[in-house]
Amino acid sequence: MSDYSDKELLTLFNDIEKRNYAFNLIVRKYQDKLYWHIRKIVIIHDDADDILQNTFIKVWKGLEGFREDSKLYTWLYRIATNESLTFLKQKKTKYFLPIVDYENQLKESLESDEYFNGDEIQCKLQKAILDLPEKQRIVFNLKYFEEMKYDDMSEILKTSVGALKASYHHAVKKIENYFKED
Amino acid sequence: MGKNNKTVEGLKGNNKNPFSVPDGYFETFPTRMQERILSENKEYAWAIKIFRYVKPQFALAIMIITFAVISITTINFILSNRTSIDNDLYTRIIEVDANEFTEQHFIDVLLEEKKPVDNHKKDESDFYIHYLLDEDIDYGTLIDEF
Repeated sequence: MSDYSDKELLTLFNDIEKRNYAFNLIVRKYQDKLYWHIRKIVIIHDDADDILQNTFIKVWKGLEGFREDSKLYTWLYRIATNESLTFLKQKKTKYFLPIVDYENQLKESLESDEYFNGDEIQCKLQKAILDLPEKQRIVFNLKYFEEMKYDDMSEILKTSVGALKASYHHAVKKIENYFKED
Repeated sequence: MGKNNKTVEGLKGNNKNPFSVPDGYFETFPTRMQERILSENKEYAWAIKIFRYVKPQFALAIMIITFAVISITTINFILSNRTSIDNDLYTRIIEVDANEFTEQHFIDVLLEEKKPVDNHKKDESDFYIHYLLDEDIDYGTLIDEF
């Protein structure tokens, strides 16, 4: 199953008779990575589950027209990132709350979340990350937790490598300050 | 650890994923995804079915509306142009015809009509004519002045 390369999966998907099978393989190959990427942005499991499903629905609808200008992997990440950011915006609009308030709610929910297994330091780190601006948060998560290359990140976020490095640097400084202040 | 290491590098080792998922989540997700796609496809197919059913009526309605809009626009255009042409035409006719007739023609026509004479108006007219004659004022000069 995981032996298929992205190119092979796309070729398989373009064969209408094998489309469902190919899509199933794509879901199995990328569900973990995309889920954790989304989860670190929205924190709550149920929200991450909804967003992951919406992401794959968009992939299903858009994969036929996917031009292989970019890698399938970065394209999937881009959709997942956009879906997550849209979700956060909708939350903000729905409750007429500034995004900071929603993120404070997320911080509080971390401690009572049954699907958060981190220790005290990890909980504090997540809270520090939640204090960062959305884009900086994504950059930090992709670099720190997933150890993603800046080039791939640049393709996902459509931002220059230099700007991403600067963003990561600022994020690190802010998190260090958060720990120092506490 | 947090108290001693104040740098993110010092937190290395804590970059393990602190989150978890319900048991069997990733095992069941592809099946749930397939079901969701099937239901999405059904909804899409349903929408297409409805569209196919209403398509002839919809096309007819669009045709009628388009025809009505074109007709109304054309009629309005013709009517607005015709009014301006008519005005121009009337002005020209009056100018041309007025030049073709002399004062005597008008007097003849009025006499032919044999209109009953209004005595009050006749007296007034006589008064004005006598005044003009007495003062030796030319009628043409008077017309030019006013």
